[in-house]
Amino acid sequence: MPDKNDLYVTVIAVLAIALWFTLTGRYSARVRSTPDFLWASRMAGPRWNAAAISGEYLSAASFLGIAGLVFKGGVDALWYPVGFAAGYLAMLLFVAAPLRRSGAYTLPDFAEIRLNCVRLRWVCTAFVVIIGWLYLVPQLQGAGLTLQAVTDQPKWVGATVVMVIATFNIYSGRLRSITIMQAFQYWIKLTALAVPVFVLLIHNAGEDPGFRNSLDASAPPSFSQATEVTLDHDVELQVTEPVRFTAVGRVDGQPVQGVVRWERDSKHRVGKDTTLYFDAGSPVPVVDGATGKNSTWLRPMSYGKHPLLATYSLLVALLLGTMGLPQVLGRYYTDPDGRTARRTTLLVLVLLGVFYLFPTVSGWLARLYVPQLLVNGNTDAALLMLPRTALGGWPALLLGGLIEAGAFAAFVSAATGLVVSVAGVLSTDVLPGRLRDFRVATLAAWSVPLVFVLAGSSLDLAQGVELAFAVAASSFCPLLVLGIWWRGLTDAGAAAGILAGGGLAVVAVLLAAAGVLSPGWQTVLAQPAVFTVPLAFLSMVMVSRRTRDRVPADVSRILLRLHAPDRLGLAEKRELGQLKSRVGIIALALSRMPLSRISLSRIRIGRHRRPA
Amino acid sequence: MSTTGPITGPITGPTARPTSGTGTAPPVDPWAAAHASVEFATLRNRLRSFVFPMAAFFLAWYFLYVLLAAFAPHFMAIRVVGNINVGLVFGLLQFVSTFAIATMYVRFANRSLDPVSSRIREQVEGGGW
Repeated sequence: MPDKNDLYVTVIAVLAIALWFTLTGRYSARVRSTPDFLWASRMAGPRWNAAAISGEYLSAASFLGIAGLVFKGGVDALWYPVGFAAGYLAMLLFVAAPLRRSGAYTLPDFAEIRLNCVRLRWVCTAFVVIIGWLYLVPQLQGAGLTLQAVTDQPKWVGATVVMVIATFNIYSGRLRSITIMQAFQYWIKLTALAVPVFVLLIHNAGEDPGFRNSLDASAPPSFSQATEVTLDHDVELQVTEPVRFTAVGRVDGQPVQGVVRWERDSKHRVGKDTTLYFDAGSPVPVVDGATGKNSTWLRPMSYGKHPLLATYSLLVALLLGTMGLPQVLGRYYTDPDGRTARRTTLLVLVLLGVFYLFPTVSGWLARLYVPQLLVNGNTDAALLMLPRTALGGWPALLLGGLIEAGAFAAFVSAATGLVVSVAGVLSTDVLPGRLRDFRVATLAAWSVPLVFVLAGSSLDLAQGVELAFAVAASSFCPLLVLGIWWRGLTDAGAAAGILAGGGLAVVAVLLAAAGVLSPGWQTVLAQPAVFTVPLAFLSMVMVSRRTRDRVPADVSRILLRLHAPDRLGLAEKRELGQLKSRVGIIALALSRMPLSRISLSRIRIGRHRRPA
Repeated sequence: MSTTGPITGPITGPTARPTSGTGTAPPVDPWAAAHASVEFATLRNRLRSFVFPMAAFFLAWYFLYVLLAAFAPHFMAIRVVGNINVGLVFGLLQFVSTFAIATMYVRFANRSLDPVSSRIREQVEGGGW
C-alpha cells in the first residue's frame, strides 16, 4: 500500500525530471547562435550522437513495458528487444543513407520529393499523425500507471504531469537540446534501471537457494510472504496447482466472504474490488493469458493463443516499423557525413542491446518477488514495485525513486519528440503554418491520445507501442523501400498501398485496443502486420504497374541523388525551398540538427518566428 | 518506363532540366549521364549484391529461431547452464547477429561504396560529364 514516503519520493523524482528538462533547455538556449549550434553538434562525435539517439528512442515500452512482458510471458517477450534492435538494422541497410541524401526532414517531405504529388503528401501527413498518436498513448498511459501504482493517484494525474512538462518545453522553444544533453538522457535512463537491478541481484544472491532457484520448477510462482491483493477490475484467473485462500468480494459470480479452494488447472472469474488473502508459500493464480508455470515461462512459444502467428507478426512489425516512425527521420542528419552516420548507427545498436539486458533481468526478478501483480494483471508496474517489495526501508524508497525518475524521463522525452513531429505536420499541412498554429497544433496533438488514455486501454504498454510499429510498417515502410529501390513506383501506387495496408492496420489496431473482439480475432488483429505489410507492398506494386504513365519524368535524377554520392543533393538547395518545407524549417529551428544543407539566412528566418 | 523518353543516354531538348547551379546550362544533363555511367552501375550492383543477400540471411536466421521454438520445443528447452536453456542462448545470439551484420555493412560501405560514390560526385560536380 502506498504511504506518505512513497508520495514524497515520487514528487521529488518528478520535480527532478521537470527541472532537468528545463535546465537542459536553458543551456541549449544559450548556445542557440548557429555557429555554436553547429559546433556543439558536430564536435559531439558518433559516440555522443549514438547515446543521444538511443536516449530518445527508449520510451515507456522499453522502460516499463518490456520488464512487464518478460515478467508475464517469459522468454517470448525477448522478441521485443530483439525486434527493436533489428528494426535499426533494417533501417541501416535499406533506407538510412538514401533518405539522408534525399534532404527530406519529414516523411511527407520524402513522398513529395520522390513522387511530386500533393495528394500523396496529404495521405502521408494523415499517417504521420495517426502513428504519432498511437505511440503517444502508451507514453501517457505509462505515466498514469506509474503514479497510480506508487501513490494511488487516478490515471489522469500522471498523464497530465507528462503533458505539462512536455508542453512547457515545447512552448518555451527549448524542446530538443544539444546532442550532449540528449546523450545524458540515455545514461540517466540506463542508470535508473541498472543500479536497482544490480542491487536486487546482489540481494537475491543472499536469498535461500530454494527460493532463488524456484524459477526452473515445474510449478507456478509462489508468494514469498503472506500477501493481500485487491483487484481494481474484473479478471479471469487460471491456476495450475490447487490453491486455497481467503476472499472477500465476488468469485465466479457469487458473493464470497471466507475460504475459497480452487482445483488444479481451472479458471475462475473474480469481480472488481474483491480482496484475496494468500498465505506465504501459496501458489500464485495468474491472469488469463500470462504464463502459469515457471518451467514453461523459461521456454519459448508458451505465451498466448497463436504463438507462431503472433510472433511472426510482431517480428515483421518491429523489423519494418522502425524506419517508418515519424520522429526517427530527423536523426539521420545529426552526423556530418555518411561514414560517421553509419558508425553512429552501430553504436546505437550496442547501447540499445546493453540497455535491454536490464528490463529482461528485472522481469525475471519480478517473477520471484512481486508475483501478486500476476493476479491483478498489472504487470507493467513490475519494475516499479520490485525494490519496494524485495528490499523495504530506505533503500527501497531510494531505488524506487530512481526508477520513477528514469521512467518519467522516458515518458517526457518520447512524448516531446512525438508531439513535435505531429504538431509539425499538422501546423504546416493542415493549418496555415504560422507559429501560433504550431501552438494550436501542439494541443491538438495531445488531445486524441489523452482521450484514449482516459477511456482506458486494455493493452500492455509494449503491446500499445507495437501497434504504432505495425501501422508504420504497413504504410511508410513500403513507401520508403519501394521509393528508394524501385523506379517504377508511382504516386497513385504509393497512395493505394499506404491506404490499403496502413488503413487496414489502423482499423485492426483500433478494434484490438477497444477490446471488443472475441479472443481469436483479438489475437489476429492485435498483431496485424503479418497480413497488412504484404498487402501494402502488393497493392503498391500492382497499382504502380497499372499507372505506369505516372512515373515521374525525372526519376533517374532523383534515384541517382538517393543512391550515389553523399551530399550531391547539396547542389540542389533550391529544391528544398520549392517544397512546402516549412515543416523542415520548424524541425530545424526547434531541433539540435546541424543544418549545413539549408542556407543560414533561412535558419535565421525560421528562428525569428519563434518566441524569445 | 516513363513516356518522356529513354532514360539512358543524354536527355536534350525541352525535357532536359537545367541544373541547379548558376551559370550556363551544360549541353548534357549530368544527372542522366551520371545515372547511365559505369560507375553508377558498379555502385548499384555492389550495394545490391550486399544488401539483398544479407537481408535474406538475417530474415532466415530470425525465422529459424521462431520455427525451432514452435516445432522443436524440446531442443529449445535443453539446459545449458543453470536456468539458461538453448532457447535463451538463441535469443541472445539474435542480438549478436544483428550487431555482426551491421558491423559487416559498415565495413563494406566504407571500403567498397564510398570510393565509388565520391568518384561520381567529383565528376558530376566538377562537370566531368
